[in-house]
Amino acid sequence: MGRQVAIVSAGFSEHASKRSDVSMPELINEAITDCLKNAPSVGFEDIDAYVNGNMPAFEGANIPELWMTDWMGARNKPLLRVTTGGTTGGTVAIAGYYTVTSGIPGVDTVLAVAFEQQSQGDTSVGLASVAYGEISILNTLGISFDQLSRLLSAGAAIGVAAYQATTYMRKTHITEEDLARVVVQNRRNAAKTWWTHLKMPDLTIEDVLDTPYVQYPLRYGMVCPASDGAVAMLFTTEEKAKDMCDIPVYVNGVASVANETAVLGYDGSGSAQLDPSMQLGAMRSSELAYSQAGISFPRKEIDYAEVYSPFPNQELMWVEKLGLFEETTAPQMYQTGVTALNGELPINCSGGVNATNAIGASAMERPAEAALQIMGKADNQVPKTVHTSIGHGWGGSLNLCTLMVMSDEPQRKWR
Amino acid sequence: MEKVGIVGYYQVKSYLDANYGRYEMIFEAVRGALDDAGLKKKDITTVISCTNDYYDGRTISNCFTVEVGGGYMADESKVEMDGAHAVLYGLMRILSGNHKLAVVWGGSMPSAFPYHSARLFETDPTWERPLAYVNDITSTGFQMRAYMEKYGVIAEDIAKVAVKNRKNAAKNSLALAESQNSDITVKDVLDSDIYSVPVTELMVAQPCDGVAAILLAPEKQALKITENPVWITGVGFNQDAYYLGDRNLFESKSMELAGKTAFSAAGIKDPANEIDTAEIFGTCAHEELILAEALGFAEKGKGPVLNSEISGDLPINPSGGAMSGNVPCGTGLIRVIEAAKQIRGEANGYQVKDVNKAVASGQIGMCAQNNIVYVLEGGN
Repeated sequence: MGRQVAIVSAGFSEHASKRSDVSMPELINEAITDCLKNAPSVGFEDIDAYVNGNMPAFEGANIPELWMTDWMGARNKPLLRVTTGGTTGGTVAIAGYYTVTSGIPGVDTVLAVAFEQQSQGDTSVGLASVAYGEISILNTLGISFDQLSRLLSAGAAIGVAAYQATTYMRKTHITEEDLARVVVQNRRNAAKTWWTHLKMPDLTIEDVLDTPYVQYPLRYGMVCPASDGAVAMLFTTEEKAKDMCDIPVYVNGVASVANETAVLGYDGSGSAQLDPSMQLGAMRSSELAYSQAGISFPRKEIDYAEVYSPFPNQELMWVEKLGLFEETTAPQMYQTGVTALNGELPINCSGGVNATNAIGASAMERPAEAALQIMGKADNQVPKTVHTSIGHGWGGSLNLCTLMVMSDEPQRKWR
Repeated sequence: MEKVGIVGYYQVKSYLDANYGRYEMIFEAVRGALDDAGLKKKDITTVISCTNDYYDGRTISNCFTVEVGGGYMADESKVEMDGAHAVLYGLMRILSGNHKLAVVWGGSMPSAFPYHSARLFETDPTWERPLAYVNDITSTGFQMRAYMEKYGVIAEDIAKVAVKNRKNAAKNSLALAESQNSDITVKDVLDSDIYSVPVTELMVAQPCDGVAAILLAPEKQALKITENPVWITGVGFNQDAYYLGDRNLFESKSMELAGKTAFSAAGIKDPANEIDTAEIFGTCAHEELILAEALGFAEKGKGPVLNSEISGDLPINPSGGAMSGNVPCGTGLIRVIEAAKQIRGEANGYQVKDVNKAVASGQIGMCAQNNIVYVLEGGN
């Protein structure tokens, strides 16, 4: 049976649209240095293994962790690379958990690193390759090339997100104002966290609604930025964690359930395309992770959530799908301040992906910030005590999902 | 480490240009492995895939392989290294106690992409890539020359390894047809075209299309699923420095360290005598010798003296090894399968006598920068 895993520390690099002052390895080194600074008793000699990941096609470097070996202090140490697109960060964090819990020979302490330096390449081109593969299928169905919005709907982020937004809006009868409200909360929160990208302390709903559409209903002001950045997390066993930090954060549940691909499949399959806001994968992930962590009433037992939402409609959708709120009630919660910093269930107090999106790192920044909230070390710390928090990730073609449940109590009693 | 059982496997035959789609290949492999174990899709709790976005030519390529790989509504993830590293992640997931049956599949189709161009993207983009002087082809030449000069090994000794592997591959029905040759001689190998001096074409494991899948289960479940599971009793993995100048290319420090960890976990003190056969992923003939020496099967520089034929003292790569078909993202996984076959006595035509303990290895990077090694054992 697996060992109890604890998070000891988390660290970030500075995020910006162009970190041209550093190379890719220097960027991850920044995050690792920050991570080790937060756990002063830990040195490179204490790290037994590494887990690493990013989205390689965005920067034009394949398996870059080979080249980055020395910038991570990984020379002659075990290293595993996992990548799953948008969920890469979550996948890296989960692989860090599994590396510790499995008790494989000689490994107790694991450093997990996720990063992206999008300014080195072209993300849109990278994402388009997700879509282009399906062009032939769209063509067969009589959808022509010039209908760009439909073309993009085959895979690239904004296309599928717009579909998702309209289906969600139809179900909940919300307006663009409700979407803008989520953006305002996120970007004001981001202003209080040092490493974030879009810091907008004075943003208003009107400002957001004043920007042009990228694709209905998503406006320019609602869409996440493209950032350069890295994040690092330190996982270790329960015993060692007590010597390494004051408040270890225990990882009590992890899941990464895949749904059907949200494109028109070869045989017309792909029901996720009919309602991309259904998200069976996220629902199943939360079911799995909560049962591992012994959570029966997520709304009551979870004190803080970081969800992966490059687009505001997704944030509303995820908090429902992850069982934090009843279906279709999320917009109300944002309106009444339940999700604000001093609310009952604060969400994305780091500003979330909507304010900072270094793609490969984003899904790991969620559990990292959620862990810091439990430790009481987050920059934008919530006033209430956080006992249990979740960090969520989304990716693929709307079909991948990662979830990590963390707590200040070990999970042992539930096993 | 608790032991984990390999309960089923399947390898799609290797082709230089497989005349069917990637998704069909993946489906065939995963379905084949499930059939081998007599299981159904609903029994899968976790799926680990191994592909590479550059090799597949599209970003997030793994999000399109969910259904065919058995990952729909299963806890799923992807490793972007060698197939053997994917087995490691599957192993970890089983050891965690969260999962009861893991599917691990890996493979690629180099017929659909320029393999060596994709490998060029692995090099340091600032100093090495613009000149393209250091790449996966030239580095094999540096490595072989370093090995020959350090230990006074001659090219004939290294060609013998290629001869052995290609003759073994001829007995392996799943091997790449182009690699099979039962009449090959040392002269043929040395006279073939230059790949990167002093490496010749026939010393190199040729990239080819293929997919393989393996099923892992915890001890209790494994014994219920099959009567003769193969146990993974030890594993070690390690990464060397990146720059070739920072390493001694005539040896493999990462494999030495990985081997040490794996053997101590499996309680093996004298690998050369206790191991019955080994499946080693060497991209070239000389690399097999370097890695075998690093694992302690022979003293450094004495690899060529080792009798590694199927009937020899310590048979290495009885299936033909990577030379029987180098499937990017799949070769290490196929090595694990071949080692398991030897233990189960299912290696038709190239079975080694009385195998109880076997070793399988995988690698990625130039000159085997990152190595992983498994100890497999038979018996209930």
